[in-house]
Amino acid sequence: MLQGENNMSDQQSLGQLASAASSEVMIEINQMNKWYGQFHVLKDINLTVHKGERIVICGPSGSGKSTLIRCINALEEHQEGDIIVDGIVLGKNLKNLDHIRTEVGMVFQNFNLFPHLTILENLTLGPMWVRKMGRAEANEIAMQYLERVKIPEQADKYPGQMSGGQQQRVAIARSLCMSPKIMLFDEPTSALDPEMIKEVLDVMVDLADTGMTMIVVTHEMGFARTIADEVIFMDEGDIVETNKPADFFGNPEHERTQKFLSQIL
Amino acid sequence: MGIVKAEKTPARVAPIFETSVVGWLRKNLFSNTFNTILTFITLYIIYLTISGVFTWGYVDATFVADNRRECYDNSLTGACWAGVIDWFDNIFYGRYPRDQIWRINFGGLLLALWMAPMWMGPVKGKVLIGISVVAFYPFLAGYLFSGGDKGMFMQVMIALALVAFIINMANMVIGLSNKQSLRQFLIRVLGQSTAPDKTQRNILLILAVAAFGAAFFWQSGWGVEGVSWTKWGGLFLTLVISGIGIASALPGGIILALGRRSKLPVLRVLSTGFIEVFRSVPLITVLFMATTMFPLFMPEGFVLNKLVQVIIAVVLFNACYMAETVRAGLQAIPKGQFEGAHTIGLGYWGTMGLIIMPQALKHMIPNIVGSFIGLLKDTTLVSIIGLFDILGMLRSISKDQPWLGLHKEPLVFGAILFFIICFSMSKYSRHLEVKLSAGSRH
Ligand SMILES: Nc1ncnc2c1ncn2[C@@H]1O[C@H](COP(=O)(O)OP(=O)(O)O)[C@@H](O)[C@H]1O
Ligand SMILES: [Mg+2]
Repeated sequence: MLQGENNMSDQQSLGQLASAASSEVMIEINQMNKWYGQFHVLKDINLTVHKGERIVICGPSGSGKSTLIRCINALEEHQEGDIIVDGIVLGKNLKNLDHIRTEVGMVFQNFNLFPHLTILENLTLGPMWVRKMGRAEANEIAMQYLERVKIPEQADKYPGQMSGGQQQRVAIARSLCMSPKIMLFDEPTSALDPEMIKEVLDVMVDLADTGMTMIVVTHEMGFARTIADEVIFMDEGDIVETNKPADFFGNPEHERTQKFLSQIL
Repeated sequence: MGIVKAEKTPARVAPIFETSVVGWLRKNLFSNTFNTILTFITLYIIYLTISGVFTWGYVDATFVADNRRECYDNSLTGACWAGVIDWFDNIFYGRYPRDQIWRINFGGLLLALWMAPMWMGPVKGKVLIGISVVAFYPFLAGYLFSGGDKGMFMQVMIALALVAFIINMANMVIGLSNKQSLRQFLIRVLGQSTAPDKTQRNILLILAVAAFGAAFFWQSGWGVEGVSWTKWGGLFLTLVISGIGIASALPGGIILALGRRSKLPVLRVLSTGFIEVFRSVPLITVLFMATTMFPLFMPEGFVLNKLVQVIIAVVLFNACYMAETVRAGLQAIPKGQFEGAHTIGLGYWGTMGLIIMPQALKHMIPNIVGSFIGLLKDTTLVSIIGLFDILGMLRSISKDQPWLGLHKEPLVFGAILFFIICFSMSKYSRHLEVKLSAGSRH
């Protein structure tokens, strides 16, 4: 938490990041429901995300945050309602799914880098095999993104030889190499030692600066205040509250939100 | 008030017990009276065994003799290696015509040359080399060993194999001298480094086609006399059967394992059934079934020779075992790897081929080598259904007139041979494991 607080005060001196949101809709979720067997994980979810908008999702463990964003890039199937990503309806159509996966980047709590490949190979794999790019071009793009996450000198190392913070930055670069339109983050700093959290959050703030559409599941409240256009609070599969960050933290409306915030702040 | 340690504690040398030989001996072998007694008893047993074997196998042994009688005349208690030595060619090559044995040696040499680059650090494209061995070498070797007339198909495959071999060798030379792949080298020599990928690819394609034409022309004027498979035998036959078994068990096992994990019910049930049936019967049964029942399923007038039937049986049997090894390896890969692959847009085959299989195979190396060792040893079962593999040959020495009744020495010799082969394989697998895990730590 300490790091998050620091980060918050750093950024507050700069003021809140200007919103890049436009009126173009990137993600639209209507009355979406999902079950795991008999267990109702997501209940009547409605959500609209505009291009360039940055959404932070928080809520207690098991409330369905991961499941929600995994539905958005078709890692999980939903049973009822619609999810429309960049104009494409997610459903059984496999061709649509292939397309969505290349449009939506995702960063996981545990990085999920490929341990048998070097950092550079981790980054060029998608561009070369999915985008059918030549090696030289792919390498160039990869190095450009490694530069952006500030670890170009580590290109020939293996993931296992790097710190958690560095691995997470590589994971972000790996997603960016596919030039996605939307980036999803599932608790990207939860598995990190406290001293590494800031380096990852800084990269994410930079990314937000470029106008990327982002959905971030996180409990880093300082970060949420800095970048979020909207903060969503989830509990037991419901979206309980959606609010501007200032109101969300300063003046939460729902009592469950108040209770949650009092526990984590 | 807190307690503060004023100085840093310097690191000290470990106690003598932990490091010196004497310390190790004291700790492990002579720590108390009972242990000391055990140590001496064990040493005595080892001494008895080794000296016994040494006297029998070397001091009292006969190495030069024309028949068993002469061995006995020389020494009654020593081994009669003369019989084994006399049968050397048979043990290694079976009844292959003596003046044609060079073909087998040449085939072995080709294989060694073909695979050698895989062990050379700077050479590029190791996976392709591996695939080219499995895909093309069998045709070249097959013709080399059996000879005779080449059909059109064989001619094409032989030409392809030759091209693959030459490319591989050139790639090795370039890799060792320039640290480049053959492709990079050719493109640079032709001055096309800046040309777009497509042009480069077309140029290489033209070169490959030209090479194929030349190879095809050359091989059409070349041939070796036919040698019937019934003349194949000895270690050569054992290695042919187990070599084909090894080369196809892994790909077959991967296909079956993927089938078993497939989302399509038909595929899954078929693969599972196939695997379970073969795994629940002993190899010898499969061999008998293959040689007696297989012909029944074949169309009228279609006769497969026994060797092919045996090879099919060995391949299927081992693919099923390998499938389970592969499945275990696949299960060990965390779900996150599939999800990571998914988010960069890789489909099923991309995920399996680029992300999952390479990692799974790495974990599986000890098990795979274990299966290969088992396969090599199991192959000796074919002597039961009448093929003269190495075991068959070793046992027929005792039926040869001059060496009548000579059982022990050939079998001891066979055991030593197998031990050398299997032990080096298992040592090598240990080495691989260490090397690969050093490359990427989790
Ligand atoms: N594959 C699954 N099968 C069954 N239940 C699951 C599965 N994944 C998650 N769940 C359950 O769904 C609920 C929501 O999980 P998740 O979305 O991971 O929550 P969060 O990310 O908010 O902690 C949890 O109760 C969890 O146990
Ligand atoms: Mg979660």
